[in-house]
Amino acid sequence: MTLMIHDALAATIMALLQTAGLLAAAPLLRAAIKKMKARLQNRQGPPLRQGYYDLAKLLRKEPIRSETASWVYVAGPRVYFAAAVAATTLVPVLFAAAPLEAAGGILLLVGTLALGRFALATAALDTGSPFGGMGASRDMTIAALAEPALMLGLFTSALAAGSLNLGALVRSVLQRGPSFHPSDLLAFAGLFIIVIAETGRIPVDNPATHLELTMIHEAMVLEYAGPDLALVEWTSALKELLYLTLLVDLFIPVGIATSAAPGAILVSLLAWAGKVFMLAIAVTLAESTNAKLRLFRVPELVSVSLGLAFLALAIRFL
Amino acid sequence: MTNDVLILCAAGMLVSAYLMVGQKALFTAIRLYSAQSLFLGIVAITIAISESRHDLFVTAALTVSLKGILIPWFLMRVIDRIGIHREIEPFLNVPASLLICVGLTVVGYRVSTGFPEGARGVSHHLIGTALSMLLIGLFLMVTRKKAITQILALLTVENAVFLVAVGVTSGMPLVVELGIFFDVILAVLILGILVHRIVDRFESMDVSRLAKLKG
Repeated sequence: MTLMIHDALAATIMALLQTAGLLAAAPLLRAAIKKMKARLQNRQGPPLRQGYYDLAKLLRKEPIRSETASWVYVAGPRVYFAAAVAATTLVPVLFAAAPLEAAGGILLLVGTLALGRFALATAALDTGSPFGGMGASRDMTIAALAEPALMLGLFTSALAAGSLNLGALVRSVLQRGPSFHPSDLLAFAGLFIIVIAETGRIPVDNPATHLELTMIHEAMVLEYAGPDLALVEWTSALKELLYLTLLVDLFIPVGIATSAAPGAILVSLLAWAGKVFMLAIAVTLAESTNAKLRLFRVPELVSVSLGLAFLALAIRFL
Repeated sequence: MTNDVLILCAAGMLVSAYLMVGQKALFTAIRLYSAQSLFLGIVAITIAISESRHDLFVTAALTVSLKGILIPWFLMRVIDRIGIHREIEPFLNVPASLLICVGLTVVGYRVSTGFPEGARGVSHHLIGTALSMLLIGLFLMVTRKKAITQILALLTVENAVFLVAVGVTSGMPLVVELGIFFDVILAVLILGILVHRIVDRFESMDVSRLAKLKG
């Protein structure tokens, strides 16, 4: 049953494979959401390969940087990318164990993602353009509320499992079987709002626009071009996939492989893809049926998720 | 399996009550109430199947058709007629309301352990969510100014009471349930007309303006 990875070599290989797989799948998820959204609006939408074409195009271009940019500006996307890649090794995807789960659990995951966000925000401030600073301050305002909500939601699951380790958490959910507690749904609802806020989807931010009054994430990365921009885009897609995988792991880990048998891995792969796709449909529907909130309303929405997550944690104790 | 469905639906009702506190668009609040009633219908169907109490199918059908469809439709029509779509200024802002509602839910859950039924797993959660929804409904009623939101709060309270009646007790006679449904429908109709009158008179459905009658 337990599938801890003790062998350092095996862990390294698994981490590499998992990261490569997620990196390869990430642009597809974005494109799929874009495509579904277009179909809901009776448009054809870009083909699913478009995400890869865009990345390839950006990576071939020459990086153009502002004259006033320092090393912070150059480091920003790279740290952002590295942090997200590091975070993927802490999350179980196909096996009921994270490749590098010996390194840490929930706290390390949230901390790594926060490091990436910090790097990008400082980089946005570096060139001194008003858009960068505006985007960074907005992003931080939302992050300051979203991060505690994310941690509370994750702690709710951790409390039930008795471990902060994501691999151990998934294993305990599998062991308990399909028993259900009201706090699960509260935490799920809270975390779903957080995922939407963190990935810059519509009620919070609009990924498809560059309107100066409303953009948050896009304002932060407005100065980037070429390979730098490709890194930022790729990381954002990876983070989105990571968050959805996290939701799948914590609340619906059905089908995840507990042994290294080829059959189990295939089932696990199909189950994971299916579940992430279902969540992607939910995200698309949320994005298509809601209007973007005014910026000053966003903290209200995020505080709803903070309340839900806190409530989930409180009910666990009662 | 039955217990999981019951808990899932009860939690869904609580989440919808919570989201109702969290936003101001009246249409969304009505849709949330509709979803809440659908969850209540699923609770009734689940218990009807698991305990083979066939009268509960009637209850479920009435819940879904009246509370899930008819009342929301009627309230949306009222809003369309009077053309007021948002709760502009509640007495308390959203984050503070949410914080208080978290406290109310904790109280509701804590109190539910005091009932003899509360000792058992599912009943504990059903009573807990129902008490929390009741408190949240009462809270919404006193902190919101728009008449429509207050009607929705009243209906939330009614849903909470119904959840306990269906889920925890061995059930009411069908005649009593029919009577309650009839009461709810009449209450909503009368309140809907009352909202029209308030808007006619004051050109707003802000009930705090009713105090101006004193002159």
